[in-house]
Amino acid sequence: MRFAEYVITGWALTGATLAVYWFWIVRRTRRAEQSLPDGEVE
Amino acid sequence: MDQRLLRPGVARALGWIALAALAVLVIFGLFVAPPDRIQSDAQRLMYLHVPVAWVAYLAFGITALGSVLWLLPRTRSPVWDRLAGSSAEIGVIFTALTLVDGSLWGRPVWGVWWAWDARLVTTAVLFFLYLGYLALRRIPSSPEARAKRCAIAALVAFVDVPIVHFSVNLWRTLHQQGTVFNDQLDAHIHGVMAFTLWFGVFAFTLVYVYLLDKRYRLLVLDEDREEREVQQAIAERLAASPVPPAPPTPPVEVGAPR
Repeated sequence: MRFAEYVITGWALTGATLAVYWFWIVRRTRRAEQSLPDGEVE
Repeated sequence: MDQRLLRPGVARALGWIALAALAVLVIFGLFVAPPDRIQSDAQRLMYLHVPVAWVAYLAFGITALGSVLWLLPRTRSPVWDRLAGSSAEIGVIFTALTLVDGSLWGRPVWGVWWAWDARLVTTAVLFFLYLGYLALRRIPSSPEARAKRCAIAALVAFVDVPIVHFSVNLWRTLHQQGTVFNDQLDAHIHGVMAFTLWFGVFAFTLVYVYLLDKRYRLLVLDEDREEREVQQAIAERLAASPVPPAPPTPPVEVGAPR
């Protein structure tokens, strides 16, 4: 593949960014749900 | 709809479908689609760049729509403010990805990482406008006041979206004009390349809807936590107060002698 360094970097960066953002939301959501009074989760 | 945008089961299914769609996009974008005749394999970055730019537009459009619905007295609801805030955050991330992927494509094709080109500059302005919007959302205030100023700011920032889109027509610029819908160009795109591009738009739209639901839910939980913390702080302050609260004053009858 020509220009592989650019192509792979672009795809890897995009995937990593979305994965990190998703993980950040999920972790904070779980923490927030655990702190609900009496473990109440709607 | 107050607590979540989608039912948990629907959101979970959407997450798996979005993940599968991204996997298909990786296979088509990196292995199945042929290299471009002129740009060679650098073209493979377009299967990301175009869809993420579309999602950025979509996200800011939903932010503007949510802001309008909040500003209209008949439709005013905290749901619209949360929707606007959640969508703007995702839009900022996708705008950053648009700039990064575009830059990685520009280096091998244009020979530069960055150019002071109308499309690039207006997109960077868009990124910073919505970064400012997110900062505005973090300023402590009453929910009503915050929602109002953020809704106005979102509508002001949205003015840049059509400027970004039409910048390639409005100014002579390094960034090429639209290709797919350009009648004058009459571009013949290879079937697999066209499919991969459109499938990318579809896959990233699913990712957007999934992330929007997740981010909205987190915003609801954060608001609940803030409210509980305020109530707890008030209760603690009252409990620690050395002066007992004044007894309620008896009502004064109108016309009664002083």
